[in-house]
Parts: sequence; structure tokens; C-alpha cells
Amino acid sequence: MARFENAPESSALPSSEEHVVIFKLADEYYALDIQTVQEIVRMQTITSIPGADFWVEGITNLRGRVVPVIDLRKRCGVPAGEYTPETRIVVVSSSTGMVGLIVDAVSEVMRIPGDQVEPPSAIVAGPENGYLRGVAKLEDRLVSLVDLEGVLPTSADEFGAYSRAA
Amino acid sequence: MASTKGTPLQFDLDDEDLKLFLEEAEEQIELLDQSLVQLEGEPDPALVQRIFRAAHTLKGSSATIGHKKMASLTHAMETVLDAVRQGRRAPTSDVVDALLAGLDALRVLANEVVTRVDSGTETERLEADLMAVLESDGPTLPAPEVSDVPVYRVSPEALEACREEIEQGHGIYFVDVTIASDCQLPSIRCYQVLQEMESIGKVAALWPDREVIEAGGGEYRMAGLLVTRQTEEQIASALKAVSDVADVRTRQVPASEASGSIEGFRDEPKAATAAPAASSAGRDDGTSDGARNSGNRKASQSVRIDVERLDGLMNLVGELVIDRTRLQQVREQLSSVLRDANLSELMDNFEETTSHLARVTDELQEQIMRSRMLPVRSVLSRLPRLVRDVAVKCGKKVDLVTAGEETELDRSVIEEISDPLVHILRNAVDHGIESPEDRRAVGKPETGTISVTAWNQETYIYLSVRDDGRGIDTAALRRKVVEKGLMTREAAESAPDDQVVQWIFMPGLSTAKQVTDVSGRGVGMDIVRTNIERLNGQITVSSVQGKGTEVIIQLPLTLATTKALMVSANGTVYAIPLVSVTEALADHEADVHTVGGRKTLRLRHRLLPMIDLAAALGDTRPRVLPTDGYFVVAARHGDRQAAFIVDRLLGEQDVVVKSLGDMLGTRKGLTGATILGDGTLGLIVDIASLVTEQAAVAVPA
Repeated sequence: MARFENAPESSALPSSEEHVVIFKLADEYYALDIQTVQEIVRMQTITSIPGADFWVEGITNLRGRVVPVIDLRKRCGVPAGEYTPETRIVVVSSSTGMVGLIVDAVSEVMRIPGDQVEPPSAIVAGPENGYLRGVAKLEDRLVSLVDLEGVLPTSADEFGAYSRAA
Repeated sequence: MASTKGTPLQFDLDDEDLKLFLEEAEEQIELLDQSLVQLEGEPDPALVQRIFRAAHTLKGSSATIGHKKMASLTHAMETVLDAVRQGRRAPTSDVVDALLAGLDALRVLANEVVTRVDSGTETERLEADLMAVLESDGPTLPAPEVSDVPVYRVSPEALEACREEIEQGHGIYFVDVTIASDCQLPSIRCYQVLQEMESIGKVAALWPDREVIEAGGGEYRMAGLLVTRQTEEQIASALKAVSDVADVRTRQVPASEASGSIEGFRDEPKAATAAPAASSAGRDDGTSDGARNSGNRKASQSVRIDVERLDGLMNLVGELVIDRTRLQQVREQLSSVLRDANLSELMDNFEETTSHLARVTDELQEQIMRSRMLPVRSVLSRLPRLVRDVAVKCGKKVDLVTAGEETELDRSVIEEISDPLVHILRNAVDHGIESPEDRRAVGKPETGTISVTAWNQETYIYLSVRDDGRGIDTAALRRKVVEKGLMTREAAESAPDDQVVQWIFMPGLSTAKQVTDVSGRGVGMDIVRTNIERLNGQITVSSVQGKGTEVIIQLPLTLATTKALMVSANGTVYAIPLVSVTEALADHEADVHTVGGRKTLRLRHRLLPMIDLAAALGDTRPRVLPTDGYFVVAARHGDRQAAFIVDRLLGEQDVVVKSLGDMLGTRKGLTGATILGDGTLGLIVDIASLVTEQAAVAVPA
């Protein structure tokens, strides 16, 4: 995967810029590589899948395509909240196809200079650590860079394992 | 020689050439696959010629792209076929075996062009085998095809039948009739010529065979051996009286030479100017060339379309169908609003347009579906080879008869149907047909017959595999289910035979006395049934002991859409494929009992376990049944049934099946999703897995 090539885990992230979409979960800011974001849509009807993991909200119809939707709050261990008019589904393209991620709000698109990003282990420790590939220290806030493939189950097998355990 | 397996390969071709090469190779390999099996025994010169040409074409194209192994192997095959063609070697089974082995290797070699990696196929040995076969002292045939003059064989019996007339001094005439090439119905003319011949004498022999001509299989050329009092001129004028007869050539044959082989006439200059290879093809050549030419003309009016593009079209039209449904819902909502606002004219206009759009959309869907249809021939044509191989392995003699090759079905279904069909056929040869000795002992012909027939009925396609073998041993089946603890002895013995034979689809049951190389692959009829039902199909079997077995598969014409009963349960809309639904009723109509603490539905003398659909699928949300009553949908999978409790019945609908996506993979009890009229999604229920799961607790009637 191209974007990892310059980012070995142990060393500092590259000095080049990160072009990201910034969104909110609870009061925290997160960022996704803009290359992976297909589109951002308002909250729409989601059909739940019986027996699926608690963090799988269900499937939704995106202009004729069936797209699975994940509640990112639940997946990242952030306490659940109500959906508001600000709630958005960020549709990303992953190795397992298109996936929708429910976020509390999408705030902006920005470029983060590489030297402001630190590996996650330096700041956070916890289960969500695996979903992050770094933390950007901006002037006014901290932004966690989400590792998309880490957030998503890598395959149907792993997904099945999750749901059996749940 | 050290294995070269895995080494990268280089070919002289770009992507466009690659595509062309593969298409052509596939076509020729397919042709070889279908015709090599027919080569054995009576070699029809036209067939030998076709096969030879296919090998020749493959040799040329593989040499062009620099595929040395493939070129050298096809060269060896071509050499053997040339010997057959020239009558230097009869196509006995060892010849056919060597050629088939070569063909199998050709497939692998052709695929190397795609993978660009050496598959490690050892062609030297195959080539050596082919050469060995050629050098071995196989029987030779009288060389009918080598000269320009076709040779016809006449059996002594055929002449014997005319002995009386010959003794009375009737002449024996060889008659060669050519039908005009612009004739629309040569088969009828051939039949008329035959009748004319019979009116003036006795027909001792006929090419093609009398049955072929009588069945309407005559083409532009026919020949016969006529025993008559008439003169050559009289024969010619009588036959020329038949419309569209272009030429009649006759020659008297001395009685001493009439039995054995008769030389025909040198081909017309017209045929001789055809490709040199074609002119030596013998008596059928003119006709097959004619057929081929007309085929080419027809082909020029069609275009090849990438399968992906067709799939894309099908998806788009699927969305259009959904929008049509939505539009109709909007129309209903708008209707009252607009009419109240005195805008009836506008509304009429809108209604007219939407209903026209709906019709066009339906038509479009139908047309696109049709364009994805392929004749089932592509599957059936592979079967003779399979039956031959299996029969040889099992020491059986089997004739395969196929019918309904023109029956069309969606290519997605064709891809899925092949494996189950092959399995059923293996079973029929291995377990169905008896050994030649056993067959003789019970007064059956040594050679068993398996017929595979395809036909359409409404929106389904049916495939039947019928054998005239020993039938299913119901006594053994009864013993087996009891032994395996699948049923009580009483239940097993009281079941009627026609129900017992369906037990071959039970998981974990095999009635074969021993596991064989042929059928004992750990795949049973239960897997076959599961696969068929995944395609929303049904499979049934009927059998008469000692007489034979028939397996019938019923499949929808397409997998892209399916007819479903729409229901709601706990706030979610589900689609239950109609093919599994046996009945749907309101709770107050249902005869519900409690058996062993479980809710059970009594329906037509059967007790069906009642299952809450949402709960069975793993819906853990709080469940509240509607206060004004619920509904029960009885559904079946094979001979198992269950009754599913749902909140509401929402009617029947054609649903477009969409996958849940890679991330969700296959979910228990679900086969996919479908877009509903309001744009939201419904879930398509996999009845097979739900019923199977519940079967363990099913109470036998």
C-alpha cells in the first residue's frame, strides 16, 4: 500500500505533507487519508444485519450500491451518542470494497506537515492504538490519524471471528 | 530433463493479440474436446477433417506467438490425425486416448499465455506417446478419404436384402444427387429424392443413412445404391424431376463389386477449388462447407461483447427497475395531492409517462437478460468426454444421448450448473448403470443409456439426467438411515418409496457399496442439492428399481433477479425466494400446537417447527409481535420444511440480488440484499441454511 511505504512503524513519519479529511468523534478529532475517501453523505436509512457485530450498523443503499456501514464510535470504543444533523457517513474505499463510516461531524480538509505527526505509541496506549497510525499536534488541537485498514476487519473470516466472539 | 516449472515465459504478442489467440485457441480446443470422443470407431471423414483442421489451426497460431511446446505438441497430434485422415491408422481407443491426453495438456499450455509462467507440462512424453501410437501396429482402414474420389462402404447384408431382384437381372446403380445450393429446404428435397428412388427400385444403401434423411437431416448432397430395372437415363430423369435437384450422376456397379466399397464420383470442380484440405474431406465436404459458409454470413451480423460490459448493463437496468418501482410509489403519493390542487391534467400526463417508462424498462430488462443467455450446449458438449472417461474407469458401457442443447439460460447459471451436472452424471455411470455382465444377466442390452435433456418451462429451465440402470436400492437406503441414526426404524419403514429415494440428498449418506475413485470424492448428493438450492433451484429424483433413475434439476433462468415473497419482521424487510415458499397464512388460520415445548404448525398432515424469522437470523433486538396478529410462512428445503413467523406479508416482488459486499462476506441465513421501492434495503433470506439448522429439532410426522 503506497502510503505506508515511507512510514516504517518505529521511525518518525515522513516530513512530507499529509492530505487528510478531518472529522469528529465525541470531542476528539480524527483524520483519514483523503485518497481513501470516496464521498461524504448525510445520515440515511441503514438496514441492520441481524447477528452482525455491535459496531456494524448495517447496510445502506448508495445510489444502487449496497455499502456496509460501521459506527466508528462503537468500533473505536468511544461512548455511543445520538445521531445529530451533523452526523455524516464517510464512504471510504478499502481493500474489502466500499465501506461507510459513521462520524459525528466532518470538519475540514487540510494538509498536515509531516513533522507535526508523531507515532501513536508516544501519546496513547490502549486498544484503539491499533487503529491509529499517528497523532498530529496542531496548534489548537490534537488530530489522530486513522489507519483505515486497521479499523476495518481485514477479511470476512476475521469478521466472522468477531461476530462469533460477540 | 530438469523441470522448468515456474520459469517466466515470453510470447510474441500484445494484449489484443493475446485476446485473439485465446479466443481462437479456446474455440479449437472446445471443438477437439467435443469431436475427439466421436472419432473412435466409425470415423466420419468430415469429422476427421474437422479435427485435423482444428489441430492444424492450433499449431499455426501457437507457432506464430512463439509457444514452442504447444506448437510441437499440436504438430505431433496433427501427424497422428493426418494418418487417421489418410486411413493409415484407424482411430482405435489408444489413438483417441493419446489425443485426449494431448488435448488436456494443450489447455494447460494455452493458459501459460495468460500466466506467462511455465506450468512444467512435459510435452515430450505426450509427443512420444503419440508417435508410439502411430508406429504401433494398429489396424488401418481402407483409405476412403485420401483420394479425391469419395468411397462408400456397403455392407454385404444390404445387398443380401436385394438378392432376389439382382438374381432377376435388376441392375445395381450408384446414384449421386446434388441439391441446388440455393435450395432453402435441402432436407425435404433429399427425402423426396429417396421416395423417388424407392418408387423406381429398391434402395440397398443410402448416404447419409436412411434414418437421417427420414428425420429431416439430409443436406445438399446424397448418394445411394439403387437396385432397379430402369436404365441410367431413366433414373436420372426421374430424380431430376424433384425440385431443386441440381445434378444426378449414376453409374452401374457390377454385382461382384457392389459389396464392400464403391467409388463415388470425383468432386465437382466447384468443390475442388475450395481449400486443398477441404477437397479431400470426402462425400460430406460440399455440404459441410456450405453450412459453414452460411454460418459465417450469419456470424458477421453479430458482435462479441465483453461479459463485464453485459454484467454492467444488467446492473444498470437493475437500478432502473428499482427506480421504476419508486416512481410508481411517488406517483401514488402525488396523485391525491395534485388532483386536490386541480392539477388533474398534469397528473394524467405524469401517469402516462411513468407507465410508459415502466413498460420500456421491463422490455429493456427482458432484452438485456436475453442477451446474456447462452444455449446450454456449452455445458452438454463437455459431457460425452466425461461419460467416456468414467465409463472406461468403471468398466461400463454407456451411450450418452443429449437433447435440448438449444435451451437458453443466463450465463451466470450456466457457470454454476456444470459441477452439479457432472456429479450427477458420474453417479449415473458409476452407481446407476450396471456392469455389462450384470446387464446381460437381467436381459438388458450391455450398453446402458444415459440421456441428458434440457428444456424451458415458464421462467425456469429443467435439466433431466435419466439412466436405464439398476435404480435406487430403497431397502439399502432404509437400512442406511436407520444405521446412521438419522431416523427410527419405524419411520424409515413406513415411508413410501418415492419419498425414500429423496433420502439420497441427506447429508452423510452414500449408498455406494465402496468408495470409488469416480464418485468417492467426499462430495455427496447433499452438496449437489445445496449448490442447486443456492441458485434458488430445486432437485428431485425418481427411480424404479431395476429400470433406472431420473434426476431433475429446476433452475431459474437468471440469477440476477429472483421472485420473492416480501415480509417484515422486527422492523426489517426480508425477501423469501418464492421457490422455497409453500404456503403463507395468518396466525388465526394456522393450526398451532405445542410439541415438546416448541411451537409447531400442523399443515397438511405434517408438523412443521415454528421459527421466529428475526430470531433465527440472530436479531437480538427486543421482539414484539404485532398485537393484531402475525403471519406464518411455510418454506421448504428439499423434503424438510419449517414455518417462519413474520410480522407482515408485503406481497410478491421481483428482486434484484445484490451481494452484501466483501467485508460482510456470507452471513448465516442471508444470501444478499435487495433495494426496495422506497430506496431502502431488504435482506434476502437463505431458506436452505435456516431449514437445515432447524431440521435437527424437526418432529417427524
